[in-house]
Amino acid sequence: MTSNAQVGSVSEARGPAPVSVLVVEDDATIRRAVQLALERYGYRVDVAADGLDGLEAFRAGAHDLLILDVMLPELDGIGLCRRIREESPVPVLMMSARGDALDVVAGLEAGADDYVIKPVDTGVMVARIRALLRRATFRPDPEGPAAAGSSGRADHVLVFGDLSVDTLGMEVSRAGEPVSLTPTELRLLLEFAAAPGSVLDRRRLLREVWDYGWEGDTRVVDLCVLRLRKKIGSGRIETVRGFGYKLVRG
Amino acid sequence: MGFLNPRALRWKIAALAAAACCAVAAVVGFLVHDATRERGLRLGHDRTLTRLIAAEREFDRTGKAPADIDVRTRAELPEALARDLAERRPATDGGYATWYDVDPPNWYWMWGAAAVGDDRILVVREDMSAEVRSLQLLDRSIAKSVLAALVFVVPLAALATEPINRRLRHGARTARRIADGDLDARIGSAGRARDEITEMSAAVDDMAGALQQKLETERRFTADVAHELRTPLMGLVTAAGLLPDDDEATGLVRDRLRALNALVEDLLEISRLDAGVELARLDPVPLGELVADVVRRTGTDTRVDVGAAEEVETDPRRVERIVVNLVANAHRHGAGPVEVTVTGARIAVRDHGPGFPSDLLERGPQRFRTGASERGRGHGLGLTVAQGQSEVLGARLAFTNAPDGGALATLDLAPRPTA
Repeated sequence: MTSNAQVGSVSEARGPAPVSVLVVEDDATIRRAVQLALERYGYRVDVAADGLDGLEAFRAGAHDLLILDVMLPELDGIGLCRRIREESPVPVLMMSARGDALDVVAGLEAGADDYVIKPVDTGVMVARIRALLRRATFRPDPEGPAAAGSSGRADHVLVFGDLSVDTLGMEVSRAGEPVSLTPTELRLLLEFAAAPGSVLDRRRLLREVWDYGWEGDTRVVDLCVLRLRKKIGSGRIETVRGFGYKLVRG
Repeated sequence: MGFLNPRALRWKIAALAAAACCAVAAVVGFLVHDATRERGLRLGHDRTLTRLIAAEREFDRTGKAPADIDVRTRAELPEALARDLAERRPATDGGYATWYDVDPPNWYWMWGAAAVGDDRILVVREDMSAEVRSLQLLDRSIAKSVLAALVFVVPLAALATEPINRRLRHGARTARRIADGDLDARIGSAGRARDEITEMSAAVDDMAGALQQKLETERRFTADVAHELRTPLMGLVTAAGLLPDDDEATGLVRDRLRALNALVEDLLEISRLDAGVELARLDPVPLGELVADVVRRTGTDTRVDVGAAEEVETDPRRVERIVVNLVANAHRHGAGPVEVTVTGARIAVRDHGPGFPSDLLERGPQRFRTGASERGRGHGLGLTVAQGQSEVLGARLAFTNAPDGGALATLDLAPRPTA
């Protein structure tokens, strides 16, 4: 199989290093149109036509964000996402032609940070991309609430049982072992860490972490919490039925 | 079908049993009555003749009749007796005449007459009232037994129909559930009875199965078509986004594309709602805030009053779909001003147009039918989607017309009072 990953042209690049995006999509029209549209917004866009090519293109270049179609030949978007997650916490936006619950859930379980349903308006897609990138470059205000409620050690290191969260270095460790979190998972954890012990409802998390209004799907919260639990210990975040979640202090 | 409904099957069968019971009793009663009467008459007749013969012998021997026997002339005889006597010939039947003199209610006499000389006739009168009385008693006791039998037979027949009734009622209920959209409902065959009801139940079940399959095929086809349209539509939407913004043609293309997109989305949504796979994801939602925000984002000129709104446990994305569709429908088919009012857990969307067409008020939203032409154009899926979504939420969506004109759609999100 020949690689037909191609490097998109850099156009209207704002600033020194344009954000680079990899789009994996099998439909040629969508692939090219999304590439052209995103380039207009100043992104550097690489494209790939199937799952294996996508994996290769991902490994070849450091991308700031991936947009994966679910239905792909060779290796589907869900499998591709899972493979990528083994190697990198890069933000992943899934693009699904199915609004089916199963597809969305599978994509999010595989580690995608967010999803959009085809056909998606370019404006909406760009808004999702920006929200994802904001999370990836998120740095909490040192004076902000996340840094305020500290317990022992340095002011910027929060400790909850065997879990410690360094809000300045953006590092998380569990029982001394570093934990690798995606930007979305980290952002979610910081949201919990800012208000340990208090219940945060799904809507609020969706708004604060994902930048969604009412139109957002709270399943992305549930599935991200699920992934976060796997990494930091399942008892750390408790479900409060009918309301949301809370971080256990001790 | 209430227990007391006089046209219920049980009472018909009970009436049939009662009628059969009465008919049998009438025939048997008549035969018994007749036989008993015959026997009574024959006994009376024999008694009369016995007395007459004894009196005749006595008269022959002594020339005088016994004290209880009259001796009369032919002229003194009752007419019927005289006629009978005239027909008798001593050679063949001894010349004894009889006549049963009946004048109800209490005149029952058996007359007997025998000529013993010229114009000297022995006349015997035998009282028959004892026979008549016993016959009446017999009639009465037959009637009493029939009534007593009916007292048992009618309720027994009514009770005996109960299993049949129950099966029929179960069948009717199931058929109604199927008609109301529960396509999984089946009558089934309980018990071992192999009768016409079983046969009809099986036929109804087959029909429901065929109907379900047909609907499922249709739904899947709709879903597949809409789904297949999405990929080319995605390319089209993105490509249209690349067209120059300041071109009028771009505006036209994008506008129609939006309409096409909305149509495909509605179709997909309806097929998902039809499939019954949609589940509400409940969250505590400040309804006023949600509705105000949703209406604002529709970008329409709509008045919003959320002063008396409450917090509700619901799925905000579905509420959003419903409110957006209702508001869009009000603007498209009604006339301004469009008002959205939230009171407690109720959302009312009202316009000042011609109101909902009558068949929508009667039968609810129908796919691809906007009713009256004055409601303008539109594919008519929006209200169907709203209705389907409100069902997923367990909410009630009512379409009415305001008393002073205009369409009024009310979504009530308050939990149903549990019975």
